[in-house]
Amino acid sequence: MSFPDPIAVFRTEAAELLEQIEAGLLDLNVNLGDKDQVDAVFRGLHTLKGSGAMFGFEALAAFTHHCETAFDRVRKGEVPATHALVTAVLEAKDHMRALVETPSGDHEAMSEVLLLNLRHAVDGSGDPAAAPAAKTPAQTLFKICFSLPRNCMANGTNPLPLLDELRDLGTCRVVADRSGIPALDALVATDLHITWDVELLTDQPRSAIDDVFIFVMDDMDLAVEEIAVAAPEAAMAAPTRPAAAPVAAETPAPAAALAAPAPGDAKAAKANENVRVPAEKLDELMDRVGELVIAQSRLSQLAGGSGDLTLRAVSEDVERLSGELRDTMMVLRMVPVTHLFSRFRRLVHDLANETGKRIELITEGETTEVDKSVIERLADPLVHLVRNSCDHGLETADERLASGKTEAGHIHLSARQQAGEVIITIKDDGRGINKDRVRAKAESSGLITANASLSDQELYQLIFQPGFSTASEVTNLSGRGVGMDVVKRTIDALRGTINVVSRPGEGSEISLAIPLTLAIIDGLLVRVGNGRYVIPLSAVEECLELSVEEDMRSRGRSFISLRDSLVPFLRLRDLFRTGTKPDQFQKVVVISTGSERVGLVVDQIIGDHQTVIKGMSKLHHDVATFSGATILGDGDVALILDVGHLVAEGQQQEAHLRAAG
Amino acid sequence: MNIAGLNEACLRLPENLTVRAIMPVREDMLKFIDAHEAATIELADDVQVDISFIQMVESARIYAGTAGKHIALAQPASGALLETLRRSGFLEGMSDDDAKFWLHQGKIQ
Repeated sequence: MSFPDPIAVFRTEAAELLEQIEAGLLDLNVNLGDKDQVDAVFRGLHTLKGSGAMFGFEALAAFTHHCETAFDRVRKGEVPATHALVTAVLEAKDHMRALVETPSGDHEAMSEVLLLNLRHAVDGSGDPAAAPAAKTPAQTLFKICFSLPRNCMANGTNPLPLLDELRDLGTCRVVADRSGIPALDALVATDLHITWDVELLTDQPRSAIDDVFIFVMDDMDLAVEEIAVAAPEAAMAAPTRPAAAPVAAETPAPAAALAAPAPGDAKAAKANENVRVPAEKLDELMDRVGELVIAQSRLSQLAGGSGDLTLRAVSEDVERLSGELRDTMMVLRMVPVTHLFSRFRRLVHDLANETGKRIELITEGETTEVDKSVIERLADPLVHLVRNSCDHGLETADERLASGKTEAGHIHLSARQQAGEVIITIKDDGRGINKDRVRAKAESSGLITANASLSDQELYQLIFQPGFSTASEVTNLSGRGVGMDVVKRTIDALRGTINVVSRPGEGSEISLAIPLTLAIIDGLLVRVGNGRYVIPLSAVEECLELSVEEDMRSRGRSFISLRDSLVPFLRLRDLFRTGTKPDQFQKVVVISTGSERVGLVVDQIIGDHQTVIKGMSKLHHDVATFSGATILGDGDVALILDVGHLVAEGQQQEAHLRAAG
Repeated sequence: MNIAGLNEACLRLPENLTVRAIMPVREDMLKFIDAHEAATIELADDVQVDISFIQMVESARIYAGTAGKHIALAQPASGALLETLRRSGFLEGMSDDDAKFWLHQGKIQ
């Protein structure tokens, strides 16, 4: 059994904390008065500092301490939250990431620059940790007795920083109580048996003491007694005058966000339990499940051809279980797109600063779940699209006001599931794509001939050609004609499609339709001639019979009438040039992508089939009709039809026939 | 306690005396105290300590005291050890015995 490297675990947790901090900062930037976000950012910085120190990331801890202190001052109302502060801490957050990833690197100079920025942002030029001199509130003497959870050291909590933080609150006398320490032969050396008695004279409220223990509050014993309120000298010199009554012997509940399930509520506790699993192990498991599905398919075929009822029953059980296992596996691999979207908030924030435009990002459907491998590969294309929208799509504030728009440009980033696909849409309310410029550029670069007849969609697709850019100037952000090519290649590799809609002066909308998973799908197994093919079941709308008479009647037209609407169909036998005669009772499988429908004429519908997708070889990379292959139960290979391509082909055929009259 | 004539030996501890490495150190120390009448603990120059070490030494003092044995530090606490004693609140209200053990009766400047 292998144990995870604690440093690697810390790095993973630090990355998550940094993401939370960034999200909190960006929320705060929208509403600077949001105290919850100030608290959230403070807690994130506090945890990062503590964990960093614990795992030996001293430079990270020291650097983060300054940001934490700055936010502590905001939290206490000593300084206001400002956009400058948010920007300074966002920059500092990037530096923290570098300190986590390369702790031994030369970061000193950058640290100093960032801390200088932070100081300026906090109070013009002073020390972020320095409190304003004007305020001299009354001092209170607290008597604090506490014991930490016995296993706290083993779990990574070091008591010393907590004591340091108490000392930071004011004048402090800390006495360790060793009476609970057992003899060496009975000692579990990683357990903590020391407790503490502390006298603290401070101008801070009781809540500041609770904040010190905020992350261990649930499991510790803490008693805080307010002994006296007095002038500093008098209070420390003569702390014996008791208060009328202890203010709070009981520990208040920590912040709601940190609340743990009530003891005994095992179900709630279970729901909050998480296990970190390396992504490669999930991929391995997915491969195994894929092989199991293929083996199960063979078993089903054997059982089907056998008269042994017991074998059939076992085969059905295995089929059901492997189906359930597959579904569970798919869920394990699904992650919400919120992880993907969150990074764009920062990107848009930075792009707004770089371009001097006011840009608001609106996200929708963040809970939409997609296979993790798809999410990872979507990040780059989305960065290019969002950059493009910010740089080329949105106008400057002056231009927008002149055209009667709001000063701030908007970018909508949304995700939704639809028929086995996730649709990710990037929409802006900018100037829209200039069709004339796209056409002129395409003609001048030889992509199309002069006066070539192209639909809007075909024209817009040209922007995804390598090196294509209509930008008159190359900026830091875009204009080199590289990014959109990357988008196209990545989406193609994901077996996805890109749809572009643009209205001059109103903005553009680019939709990416990506399969929800790249691993296993439910398919409809069909026969065309002597070959068997898989149609993704999520795209299948219905199946009809096409009699010989109807087939003869429709020949030349290739349309079927389906509830008062004409649907074009493709004869796969002709498309695949099987050279076989059609079956007497052919079937039409109606498939769709969004609102577009097309019928596929097949010889036989065999039935549903759990399809483990295998990639096509490089030799077949330009065969657009198929998106992959799968192994059937009898060992034969069946090709998987590319629904998007076939629907487009059917629609094209329809357009040509309509044009021909 | 007069330790003249006792079976005396010195245990040199490793550099890492933090919670991550304390378990085997405790084992070694227990065996060492069992094997000797008087044990002197020697720390490395660039020792790393945290509160788990201080707790373990306090625990060893209790164990040695109960068994009628003697335990001492080869050198008075200084550097990282002294700083850890200070931060953890061991120096505040320190008894004469404790001061003798940890600081060799020295005063903290």
